[in-house]
Amino acid sequence: MRSILKKEKTLSQNAHNNLTAYFMIFPALLVLAIFVYAPLFLAISKSMTNWSFYGTSEFIWFKNFALILKNQLFRVSIVNALKFVGIIVPIQLVLSFLFAHVLKSLASRMGTFVKSSIYVPTVIAGVIASVIFIFIFDYSSGLANVILGFFGVERQAFLADPKLALFSVCLPIIWLGFGYNSLVMFAGLINIPKEYYESADIDGAGFFTKMIKITIPSLKNTVLLLCINLVTTTIQLFDVPYVMTGGGPLNKTITPIIYLFNSSKSNDQSMGYTLAGALLVMIVITLVNTIVFRVIQSDKSADD
Amino acid sequence: MSVKRNRHNIKGLLNNLFGLIVALISIFPLIWMAIASFKPENEVLGFPFRLLPTRWVPDNYIQLFANRDIPFLSSIKATLIVSIIATVLSLAIATMAAYAFARLDFKFKKSMWAIVITTMYIPGIATMIPAFILMARMNLLNTYAVLILPSLAYAYNILFFRQFFLSMPVSIEEAALIDGASRFQIFHKIFLPMSTSPMVIVGVSIFVGYWNSFVWPSITVSDPSLYQVTQIIQSYNATYAQKYGVVMAGSTLVAVIPIALFLIFQRYIVKGITLTGLK
Repeated sequence: MRSILKKEKTLSQNAHNNLTAYFMIFPALLVLAIFVYAPLFLAISKSMTNWSFYGTSEFIWFKNFALILKNQLFRVSIVNALKFVGIIVPIQLVLSFLFAHVLKSLASRMGTFVKSSIYVPTVIAGVIASVIFIFIFDYSSGLANVILGFFGVERQAFLADPKLALFSVCLPIIWLGFGYNSLVMFAGLINIPKEYYESADIDGAGFFTKMIKITIPSLKNTVLLLCINLVTTTIQLFDVPYVMTGGGPLNKTITPIIYLFNSSKSNDQSMGYTLAGALLVMIVITLVNTIVFRVIQSDKSADD
Repeated sequence: MSVKRNRHNIKGLLNNLFGLIVALISIFPLIWMAIASFKPENEVLGFPFRLLPTRWVPDNYIQLFANRDIPFLSSIKATLIVSIIATVLSLAIATMAAYAFARLDFKFKKSMWAIVITTMYIPGIATMIPAFILMARMNLLNTYAVLILPSLAYAYNILFFRQFFLSMPVSIEEAALIDGASRFQIFHKIFLPMSTSPMVIVGVSIFVGYWNSFVWPSITVSDPSLYQVTQIIQSYNATYAQKYGVVMAGSTLVAVIPIALFLIFQRYIVKGITLTGLK
């Protein structure tokens, strides 16, 4: 008897649940539909037309993709994005991995202070970081050149020298992300069970053995998460290079988004062309992330 | 034994010292910015090099507010309006959806969850320009709506709250259901009040995200009365090339708000990341 009652109750509750649930998820789905799915489908459909803001659009198949792939500047921007990934991702991973170990061994009060301090840059706008580093990199007497001068090194035009610009732009980006990455790495580190190290100690394993056999394999998921996050944001860099160099000198720091941003503002190309470029960048991001995923996962399977 | 302990102490001391140095390097650019904003014009870059100003002056700030072409205060106001409204709405949207996905059973739950989660894998670049085109067609350029609406639902935040709600004991809910509370009442009266910590973590991250956003406002807003703070700093940077004092004054004021928010809530935020590994 009781179970029948209970069943009836859950049934009516379920019908009610449906309504409540749809009411509760509706706003989220609506926003995602209008601002993620609709634009994505618009991009896919319009990228195959010669549509611009004015006038009609004609279906031209993959002409836009061919056109933008042939564009020298777009190709340069993709290569630059990969260079940024090649510099920023390994540096961030190594720095945060090392500093996570330092964080782990800090006295508790000091630990709180250090963790908070390194996190502060994370809340700073890319634009602000850019103007601070433009100031620090000033040629005539910015702080960076003052420090170089102190060591007897000659002045550098950090942002105007085509050889240096890309590295100089990386610096504020690394500064902005270092704290967050270190804390995530630290979280991964303290989640490794102590017993692993204890039994390794009993076996007489040294520092490096423990690092390679225990620490690094245990951090695989953390590293994967950080890597994909870093790759995705780095390929989509805009604020810092746009404000610091505008993509120059000699297009050495132009990124895909700077290129597409400029192209969407000019009337030289159709919107279809710009949208095709955006989709290509998305494909590049997915490709690089797939490679990252494969590399890290294959290591794992070799271990098991 | 004591030798080993000593070595341990020295190692600990060195570690603490190193940690302290890195912490100071991390905040140094911000301190450098703030110091420069109080320097007289000839000392910001001048020789000989000085760490601190000979006298602390408000000149740069006065010049900042005197410039009527670049409306600094009104952009602070406009950005505050956008960030606050967006934070409140985003939190409401994310917590509601998360509660439904965590605690309710309904038809098509799995496919709807997939629709939400898939958006995490669609990079902003693919949707930004077409979203701009849609907004232009709807005549929404140069409005508060275009600044606020597009990022209101963020799958990551929904996921974050869902994980939190899933970890709450079912017994609370059962008791409330027996007392005749509706699901929405349970969400509103029981779950939300117990979610201070994730609300703070996600809320600050949403606010900071809006406060710092640059590319979207640059594309969609050209009306100076709606300029966001990042746009203002960018135009200072273009106008006052070499006059770093003024740019640093503006940057200091713009940076103070997210830093203050972080410092107020740092306990929650640092703990949240170190516990979950999520922002």
